[in-house]
Amino acid sequence: MSEPTGRTIVLDGDEVAFERGETLFQVAERHRKEIPTLCYDDRLEAFGGCRLCVVELEGARNPVASCTTKAEPGMRVTTKSGKLEMHRRVLLEMVVSENREVVVDELSGYASQEMKTLVDRYDAQTGRFAGKQSGVSHPDDPNPFILRDYDNCISCYRCVRVCAEQEGDYAISIMNRGFDTQITTEFGGLLKDSSCTFCGQCVQTCPTGALGDMKALRFAEVEKPVEKTRSICPYCGVGCAVDIMTKGDQVVGIQPAMDGPANEGALCVKGQFAFDFVHHPDRLKTPFVRDDHGQLVPASWDEALDKAASGLLEAVNEHGRHSLYAVASGRAPNEAGYTLQKLVRAGLGTSYIDNCSRA
Amino acid sequence: MLPNNDELIAQAKTEEAPLLPLLHKLHERDGYLSEHALRAVSKGLRIPIADLFGTITFYHHFAREEGGFEAPRVCTGPICSLRGAHDLVAGLEGATGMPCSGRCDEPIPVIRGGQTLVGMSVDALAVRETPAPPAKQGDYEECVFAHIRDADRKTLDGYRLTGGYAALERAVTSMTPEALIGLIDESGLAGRGGAGFPTGRKWRAVAEADGGPKTVVCNADEGEPGCFKDRALMDHDPHAVLEGMALACFATGAPRAFLYLRYEYPETEHLLSEAIAEAEAAGILGDDVFGTGTEIRIYMRRGAGAYICGEETSLLNSLEGEHPFPRNRPPYPVTHGYEGTPTAVNNVETLSSVPPIIVHGAEWYRNLGLGSHAGTKVISLSGDVARPGNYEVPIGLPLSTLIEEWAGGIPNGRTLKAVTMAGLSGGFLAGDDLDVTLDEPSIRSKGSFLGAGGVMVFDDSRDMIEISHMAMEFFAEESCGKCFPCRIGTQRLTERLAGKSGPEDLEAWLDEVNDLNTTMKETSACGLGQAAPLITESLLKYFPDAVQTHVAGD
Repeated sequence: MSEPTGRTIVLDGDEVAFERGETLFQVAERHRKEIPTLCYDDRLEAFGGCRLCVVELEGARNPVASCTTKAEPGMRVTTKSGKLEMHRRVLLEMVVSENREVVVDELSGYASQEMKTLVDRYDAQTGRFAGKQSGVSHPDDPNPFILRDYDNCISCYRCVRVCAEQEGDYAISIMNRGFDTQITTEFGGLLKDSSCTFCGQCVQTCPTGALGDMKALRFAEVEKPVEKTRSICPYCGVGCAVDIMTKGDQVVGIQPAMDGPANEGALCVKGQFAFDFVHHPDRLKTPFVRDDHGQLVPASWDEALDKAASGLLEAVNEHGRHSLYAVASGRAPNEAGYTLQKLVRAGLGTSYIDNCSRA
Repeated sequence: MLPNNDELIAQAKTEEAPLLPLLHKLHERDGYLSEHALRAVSKGLRIPIADLFGTITFYHHFAREEGGFEAPRVCTGPICSLRGAHDLVAGLEGATGMPCSGRCDEPIPVIRGGQTLVGMSVDALAVRETPAPPAKQGDYEECVFAHIRDADRKTLDGYRLTGGYAALERAVTSMTPEALIGLIDESGLAGRGGAGFPTGRKWRAVAEADGGPKTVVCNADEGEPGCFKDRALMDHDPHAVLEGMALACFATGAPRAFLYLRYEYPETEHLLSEAIAEAEAAGILGDDVFGTGTEIRIYMRRGAGAYICGEETSLLNSLEGEHPFPRNRPPYPVTHGYEGTPTAVNNVETLSSVPPIIVHGAEWYRNLGLGSHAGTKVISLSGDVARPGNYEVPIGLPLSTLIEEWAGGIPNGRTLKAVTMAGLSGGFLAGDDLDVTLDEPSIRSKGSFLGAGGVMVFDDSRDMIEISHMAMEFFAEESCGKCFPCRIGTQRLTERLAGKSGPEDLEAWLDEVNDLNTTMKETSACGLGQAAPLITESLLKYFPDAVQTHVAGD
């Protein structure tokens, strides 16, 4: 084992470098130490609540939470030991004891399997530390998007923190204290009466499925594996990366891509929950043109484009080139937007072109 | 006419740390915190309404139903429970319990509105001044209690009779802050709230920290069950506390100080507010301290019932109007305290010790302790002793001297079974370990600690399982809910001590309780969760037979 020099720490016996401001957890993550966590979401300020990420720090009386401890030159850190593994198992057994045992469907949300995965990894015994259960479910919150089944809640407050820190909505908060703690809205009311925008961020960060994606959970009974396809949200111009979840040919849900360059895991209510149009019977699958009686009838692309071109030309000829104004849909990709402005500027001869995301 | 919401909010917006005082005004005006008033506060102070609502519910004493402010709250702390507090709750209409409210040397206290009554039965409740410390015992010199029994000590004139505020005057007119800090360093004064951090070192860290304005906070949130020493100091010697705060301000360069007082001491708030006004009128506090141009302003802020707010970072969050969870450390308050400014948080007793140290010198204070120990400590002694009360002991005094000689021993022909240390946080001492001396090295060698100096005494008639259960129930009620081991662990230990759940087989029971103890002690985020398992640990150590009987269900 070498002596540390400069900005390094000794991590499980190896001297490793760190950046100023990095926490022990972040350094350990880079070195694939797989420290367990439940209250951690790397988009949020480290909270230090679950204590699963404790590591041994030479000179400290007790293990320290690696998520809130900043690396300092010369620190000697152990991320795995018999003692630490014992603490982690006991903590998991404690947290499991506060809720009823249920199987949480993976459609519940992006992080919904975190708890179960850790319980399996540490072979935590369910049934130990039996006693009162902590959560109080809100099955009576009538909204089509967010299931509030706090019987599964472990009070990690990731939902409250993502709502405040990422969304700036402050729709939910922490009520009471200790074992009586509950997640609440203002005065314990319904989500729809709060400042909630139903963005679903709380659902996606919940590590136990206490908050669930009700749109996706409609398909929980379909006995096919879930496949994820990376795509871009088809709504506005931000270009949020999403993983479209499918079972067979059926789109069953949307999850935000945590590594999406534009959104870093964020989505809004539309991108998160409004995907039913995909399989909707009213969805347009061919062009339509109006017949002589003004009724819309299905047509081929050639017919439709001819019709559109003649209509546009007629307008230009009759009222001049500036009589037209084009608005590109925010749902159109960049290339389509470019082509439209080319058509408007070069084809029609006007610069009246804009985008609905800006208008 | 009572001020309306807009008037109160407009006034609050001009004040430092405005949320708690504003909520108290509304609470007292309306008798509860109405949704209407809270929505106005949310809008006026720009606090998200869900956050404000959540934070209100954190505190024990903010009522959300009409008439709640006036409803009687009866102390159901360990000592009062043993004296029949639960009968009082049942007998008083609309009464509920509250955690130990710091009058363990008196009949049971009941808070109704802004008033404390004491009595052993519903018919015998009366308003009474808090007891002064019992007459001095032993041949040892006192520090903070030296003049506390003097007549008129509470008034500015009475305080000045024996040299009150001379230390402050000398400091601001003829000493440098460095010299003052050096003197406190030499005296060996350390935090008397229980943590024992050297006071001089804390002040120097604040004085040398970047950024400002610097802040001093007097931690008067004396929430530890069985501790009532700060109440005695504030009620009987308020100017000493203020002088200590002003000296801390001078030492650290802070123009402002907050005194964060626990909710359960309503009379103390008025007393201290009057003392501040008196001192300001005399030019001792305010913007021109003793004509030197030094600004020192002291603000009173009152908590609303939460033990965790005695933890300094939780206190700072409470003061700022945030949800009172403890903060992650580092950074420490000395660099990032109140609103991110360098802040010295000191206990009442620590601050009260400062003026006599300046008057008599560092050497004098250091020599007050026995052997190698520096200074004195006030011990709040309660329970099964002949003369409960606050005793200022030289650090290092044998516990048996305090109990047997000073406090008159165990009454009613009973014998001593166990004591608690640090209020409840140090767990129990019993058997041979009762031969400790009152200093940290001695008590820590037994796996406990002296802490804030609350000692509850239990005679041989007491059921240690019942007392342990009350203690753990307290920690469970007061756990803030931030970290898992404390939030869940205090609950599970309470259930096991109540005999309500847990394995019926002794070995499995012990296996669970030992795992809870170890993981709570070593992984909890703050002192509450780290200390709570000392109750169960010491119960198992000293009273294994009682535990066996309890688990067997006999």
